[in-house]
Amino acid sequence: MSSEPQRRGSREAYDYDEGNGYPSEQHALRLRWVSSRASNQSYPQHDLSSTPAEENEEGDSGPPRDLRAIPLPMALKRAVRQVQQMQVPVVSSRQSWRRKRTKSLHELKEKARESLYFFTLWRKSLQKIGGNFGGGVQSYFLFLRFLVVLNFVSFLLIAGFVLIPSIVFRSAGTSLINSTGPDECKVYDPNSQGLVEFYKYFLDLLSGTGFMEYSYLFYGYYSNTMVENRNVSYNIPLAYLFTAIFYFVFCLICIIARMGTTARVAVATGGSAVGNYSVIVFTGWDYGCQGDRATKLKQKNVHYRLQVDLEEESRKKRAAALTLCQKIALYSLRVFMCFVAFGLIIAAFYGIFVATNFSQTKSGEEGILGLFFEYLPSIVITTGNFVVPLLCDQIALLERYTPSTTVIVALLRAVFLRLVSLGVLLFTLWDQITCKGDIDSHDCKLCQYNYKVHPCWETRVGQEMYKLTMFDLLVNIALLVLVEFPRRMVVDNWSSKLAQWVGRQEFVVSTNVLGLVYGQTVVWTGALFCPLLPLINTIKFVLLFYFRKVTLFYNCRPALKTFRSTTSTFFFLVVLTFGWCLATAVMIYSLAEIRPSMGCGPFRFFPSMWSIVPTSFYRLSTITQDFLFFIGSQAFSIPLFALSCVVMCYFIALASVYGKSVALLRAQLKLEGRDKQFLVKQIEKLSRQHQILKHTAGAYE
Amino acid sequence: MGNKQTTFTEEQLEAFQDCTFFTRKEIQRLHGRYRELAPHLVPLDYTNNPDIRVPLTLIVTMPELKENPFRDRIVETFSEDGHGNLSFNDFVDMFSALCETSPRELKTIYAFRIYDFNRDNFICKEDLKMTLNKLTKGELTPEEVSLVCDKSMEEADLDGDSKLSFSDFENMVSKAPDFLRYQDSAVFIKLPLINNVP
Repeated sequence: MSSEPQRRGSREAYDYDEGNGYPSEQHALRLRWVSSRASNQSYPQHDLSSTPAEENEEGDSGPPRDLRAIPLPMALKRAVRQVQQMQVPVVSSRQSWRRKRTKSLHELKEKARESLYFFTLWRKSLQKIGGNFGGGVQSYFLFLRFLVVLNFVSFLLIAGFVLIPSIVFRSAGTSLINSTGPDECKVYDPNSQGLVEFYKYFLDLLSGTGFMEYSYLFYGYYSNTMVENRNVSYNIPLAYLFTAIFYFVFCLICIIARMGTTARVAVATGGSAVGNYSVIVFTGWDYGCQGDRATKLKQKNVHYRLQVDLEEESRKKRAAALTLCQKIALYSLRVFMCFVAFGLIIAAFYGIFVATNFSQTKSGEEGILGLFFEYLPSIVITTGNFVVPLLCDQIALLERYTPSTTVIVALLRAVFLRLVSLGVLLFTLWDQITCKGDIDSHDCKLCQYNYKVHPCWETRVGQEMYKLTMFDLLVNIALLVLVEFPRRMVVDNWSSKLAQWVGRQEFVVSTNVLGLVYGQTVVWTGALFCPLLPLINTIKFVLLFYFRKVTLFYNCRPALKTFRSTTSTFFFLVVLTFGWCLATAVMIYSLAEIRPSMGCGPFRFFPSMWSIVPTSFYRLSTITQDFLFFIGSQAFSIPLFALSCVVMCYFIALASVYGKSVALLRAQLKLEGRDKQFLVKQIEKLSRQHQILKHTAGAYE
Repeated sequence: MGNKQTTFTEEQLEAFQDCTFFTRKEIQRLHGRYRELAPHLVPLDYTNNPDIRVPLTLIVTMPELKENPFRDRIVETFSEDGHGNLSFNDFVDMFSALCETSPRELKTIYAFRIYDFNRDNFICKEDLKMTLNKLTKGELTPEEVSLVCDKSMEEADLDGDSKLSFSDFENMVSKAPDFLRYQDSAVFIKLPLINNVP
């Protein structure tokens, strides 16, 4: 009885949280009696009284929005709905008309969103994958879908600006510049076979030679023409160049936009403010419905992640406890192992270099052996990409980093290996084409490129990229059929110890994503020389999606070690950007430095590919020329640069201010919590004193 | 519509549509699933709002819930009597609150209630221990369990009363990157099966 005012008072003062910090015994008992949900109506955050009031004030937001998100049982929600509906006739006719309009607009929006869902590519598959295997694996498939859409849109771009005009204006149009230069350089005869056997078509399909070489697939087929009718004027070489440049810029914008959405999530989670343990405990379960075996694995997964964190703690303690001697030994071991890993990677590069040169010397071979020599660089690259990371994993065991550092180091090494091996391949090709950079050497003196070995060197580079893409696809198919399905059949049906130790395959997200990044980088490098490569890559990635999905559901078990979904998506986009940078470097070098072949292609009589831009520039009208000069001049670019610096500084300052205010608010929250506890203790003490006084007063009487 | 015996009246369907995140079709599918659990108990005709409750033991046999370590707690939280016997209203409520389209805030509220085993509106250490044990099914040693619980409490408890109030929980969970993006959590039922029911 006398404790009533205390409880009511405390409830008024702290109504945002129903239970106060230190419930007295009766209070706690009361809470335990009240076990049904309905009594939890005074739960935080959803003050029902405000909702109908808002309704009457604005008259705009429809009931569905508020009602569905209220955490009440259905019966109460329906009661609230009835109350809301009964309030409607009070408003004027104009407001009711507006309300009906917003409601129908709302329904229309819902229908539109549902139909949009229908058009989203593979939505149901991704939902199923996410539901069964969790966010980490789903992020791989989302990344794959992003790449498919990117490649398809790029193909549409290239088709619209380069392919279709080339087809349409094939016969029309005049040559841009009349031929100058020695006649030997202009010799290019790709169809010199005559009668060919049937299987040769198949070999040609795989290696891009023969009937495929002189087709729209490769650079060599496009013509150096400009069409100028009365109403239409189209400069095909210029279109080719600008489309290539715009394609790169467009891909970069897409990647950055996607990175922006992921980064927003990563930034919103704050720095190290929230630790690992609570997050793993409350949000760590990747739910699935795959049966008992998968559940045990999921539990092991959570257990593994917790153990990783526990182990990191103990490792840190141990590392702090090392003597100086042990520290020196450990660090020197790590440096040595780093060199060993580096040495392995360099050995892989040397292998690629040798293989490419050897493949070039044997380029005249026929038949299956010829095909093998054509594919030799691809084979060496793929083998290196497979073997070297395995060895590096063994090295990492000796290095004894913390588990998270080990993962990051392994990933960085794998990325470095893949991208730079591609770079080595290209570098070797460039060496062959430009006679090792020596323009005046015997082979290159005449045409400034090695015309004997490569009469049309752009097509050759395009073919190399085409072969890499095809080989990647073939290897994936071969692995699926020859390794993954048999492995599952062996493990499931043969119950020996070896089979159980090998176990079913695990879907390792990081390796697969690196494969995707590698494939995309190859396409970017090759797009300038093989304009249809994005289309081929779209088809390849679509096939890859279905192959991976099949393998995931039939052959894989849930992974024991998982990735944090969000940060890894960001990391993959960063790696994709590295690939993009490599491809851009290649493109810039090809555009600016090497002389285009004189026998083929749209740039055949230009000293460099870029030189078409100045040539066409001077054909524009004087006003446009002056305007463009002005934009490029210092009077415009320096103020623009200064302005963008100012804008960037503004955003950086804004971000740091937000970060500081978040930290301040967090500290304030802590302080207020402590204040509340202190006050509650005071109230209890006072009320106890009051009770004692009352009892003694009563005893007196 | 209207080719078979009607399960709900128009206004019932509208009420359901307004109060949950489901469309009419999905609500009827849900009724089908509900009926599958206890065909003799649940009538086909719901037009007069029969008061039928399917017991806990039948609900947790659903494929979406069977493997979830928190299935009992989930069903208890959404039941009106607190013992896990769900009427159809509760059933629809449960799936609506935990489906993919429901907002994060709503899920956070229900997640808090589910993790609060002793229903005192706080997640205390015992609640945490029970959560962890259900998650890892006894794989961790008792010392590790208490270490993880201590560390989680330390990280998430803002006002220093050694238990998590709703605001602590919400603050911690809203920062988890996976939670924001994919809403992975033991509690959340992914519904890959509900849309495939014929």
